[in-house]
Amino acid sequence: MAKLFVDMDKYSEGEGPPIVAAFHSALKDLVRKKVDESGGNWREFVFGKAETMITAADIAAVERKVLDSGYRYQCSASISLTERPDAYKPLAGAGSTPANFSFEHADAIVVAADATDREQRGQGDNVVKHPVNVTGIARYYHSANDVMRSLTEGVPPDTIAVIEDSGGTLTAPILEQFKAVICAGGTVRSHLGILTREYGLPCLMNAKVSGIYEGDLVELEVTGHAKTTEAYQQGKEMSVRIWKHIKPN
Amino acid sequence: MDKKPLTYAQLLETNNIMQVLGDETYFLCVTRTVQESKLFPVSSYMLLSYLNAFYRYPTLLRKIEAKMPAEKIADRVRNMNSKIQAIGTGWCMIGFYLLGREMLINMGMIRPTDAADDVIYVLDFWKRYQLGWHRNDGHITSKEAGHRAQILPERRIQVFHADLHPCVDGDALHTAAVKFTAAVSQYAFLVACESRISMSNHGPYNLGDGRELLVRDFFDLGEGDLPWLDGVASDIPHSRLTVTTAVKDTHFYLVDDWGSFDSRPEYKSENLCGVGLYTSDELSETHIPVGMGSREELTETFERYGKIMRDTTAKLWQRIAGYTRDQMLDAGSLTYYAVIKDFAHVAGVYEHDEWMKIDERANRFRGLFNDEYSNEVLGAMLVPLTLPSAQCHEYTMMHHANTARRVYTPLSYSLLNGDDYVGSVGDGIKPGMTFLPPKVDRYRTTQGVMTLAEFNQRAANFTPQLCADKFRFLDDTWVKYHYKTPLANELYCLEQQYSRKLKGKGAGLLRDDIVALTDKI
Repeated sequence: MAKLFVDMDKYSEGEGPPIVAAFHSALKDLVRKKVDESGGNWREFVFGKAETMITAADIAAVERKVLDSGYRYQCSASISLTERPDAYKPLAGAGSTPANFSFEHADAIVVAADATDREQRGQGDNVVKHPVNVTGIARYYHSANDVMRSLTEGVPPDTIAVIEDSGGTLTAPILEQFKAVICAGGTVRSHLGILTREYGLPCLMNAKVSGIYEGDLVELEVTGHAKTTEAYQQGKEMSVRIWKHIKPN
Repeated sequence: MDKKPLTYAQLLETNNIMQVLGDETYFLCVTRTVQESKLFPVSSYMLLSYLNAFYRYPTLLRKIEAKMPAEKIADRVRNMNSKIQAIGTGWCMIGFYLLGREMLINMGMIRPTDAADDVIYVLDFWKRYQLGWHRNDGHITSKEAGHRAQILPERRIQVFHADLHPCVDGDALHTAAVKFTAAVSQYAFLVACESRISMSNHGPYNLGDGRELLVRDFFDLGEGDLPWLDGVASDIPHSRLTVTTAVKDTHFYLVDDWGSFDSRPEYKSENLCGVGLYTSDELSETHIPVGMGSREELTETFERYGKIMRDTTAKLWQRIAGYTRDQMLDAGSLTYYAVIKDFAHVAGVYEHDEWMKIDERANRFRGLFNDEYSNEVLGAMLVPLTLPSAQCHEYTMMHHANTARRVYTPLSYSLLNGDDYVGSVGDGIKPGMTFLPPKVDRYRTTQGVMTLAEFNQRAANFTPQLCADKFRFLDDTWVKYHYKTPLANELYCLEQQYSRKLKGKGAGLLRDDIVALTDKI
């Protein structure tokens, strides 16, 4: 079997994350095999014969082999799961949000109700400091279908959108209609953070929440400090609180 | 053709560029963003774009330079709004190219020395372009300038400054400007498939009295290069817009090579105290005011354009939501890969198939790029740098992280001892493909809507007067010692030709003179 240039590596500590290691090991095996088949001349191979001898089908087979082992990939974009339901793990909260669904983060800080019947159900990074806290109704937006529904029917008043996606495109046509946003990903510099700042919408990024359900009355402590670049760089905690208003017994 | 041997100086310089870019790549990734989307397969399209860049950039850049050298293109671009600034060239251009190389090294597809001639050329083109683009602040990147991008000459800043329309929080112009900026930013993210590469900022420029000017550029807004805008963006009146913003009591301490900014205290729209709006491109003499005749006209323009942006966002979103994954993958990867396509527009040599197709050599890898692998390998390449190529000897302390890591693999100096390598991916563009619908031959420019052939022809034949040989090298240092000469006056008057406040005022004004001329509330 041909030996690749990168097979001798004094400082390598491995191929990286498991899925990357699986793919890259298989790709290297493929290259070794094709180099052998080509006659072993790397100079003729690398930007010459390799272009026809290593085909799209060869490379797709590397991905397929992992799938055939029973492994299912983690999905990011809804379209990936929609088109290849056999290849991906189901997406949490995909489709309509059941009444008993909540993001559940292990690091969410939960504190019993205070004198004003506010129960802390998590925390997040404040994008911009506002003069008063914002209160509204929590509503989950998981997928393009959720957005399409609001695009046709309108966003209900007082909606505080609860979103996992820190991007700026999933909710693009309706973002302006939200009262505020709780985003379970990203940083205050993520695209969603940038856009909510431009729109003047209160927003918490990188939120860790627990027990916030569709229709809950929630309050965001956006009067707290905005998280700074330095805080991210230094790994400094600088979050503000998220409360759920509970009805007294 | 005889190939010149590599030199020690070339390798030293190339490796320096790679190392500095790598350090900044790590900083930007740690501090600025986590990019993800439930709509677009973002990591997957990024990886495909990196490979496309690796296989195609060397040939395309050589083709462009056959018409116009990189540093001359930079002189043109300082005179207009274009995508080839931060973020496009500040980081993306060589970041994408080198990440493609890094991917292939880690897959065993190439050796770190293969394509060395290409690597040296692409980075040398970039260096000359960046030095030209940053000519006025004397740096090569915003990072080197202390995260600052003072790109413009005095004559252009004076026009932007003088023509600002003042506004205060809550008045009609302020409200309209803030809403428009939000709407165009939202639209730009969607146009660029969840990336920030359809907008950029440069500055700050000191307006005095605790005020700073931040220049906010938006590009690829109308029908033009991007096939997914055909039809849906027909109402967008300008493909490129520049919003000039004066902000009080706010210091932009960071304007980086991704074109994003940070400030102390945090940026709040209530501190916006002056605005302007312009368009420009390869066919315009300089920046052309848009709706700038009066505060009322500008307010109405922002309101009307904001509505157009919102309506077009909804239409474009629905089109994209109906795309297949392969179509989303193509739109995203072509957005990324073609981030430097305006080089070809400036030179008048833009070809759709060269910039809006996935090269067959890159496309082979499409089947690999499921969401999970793409997320994991992208993360491993950037933070925390766990791929084999990133790992260095144990005494290494990487900038910003103190770990034994680096982002980009240098070219070994052993090449000078005759180590074997294959210099280039090869001349010529290989066939490409795309799942996107065929492009409509409709390009919106400052001179109207035209076909690509006409756009190329006009760009190739047009030299703005300010970029002609007579004026090209008359920089601010020359002006400092010649501002009373007829030539300096002519130079400034050309820049001031569309200015509401400065037309014909010439080269003698200082900042206080400009302040005295500005509108007050």
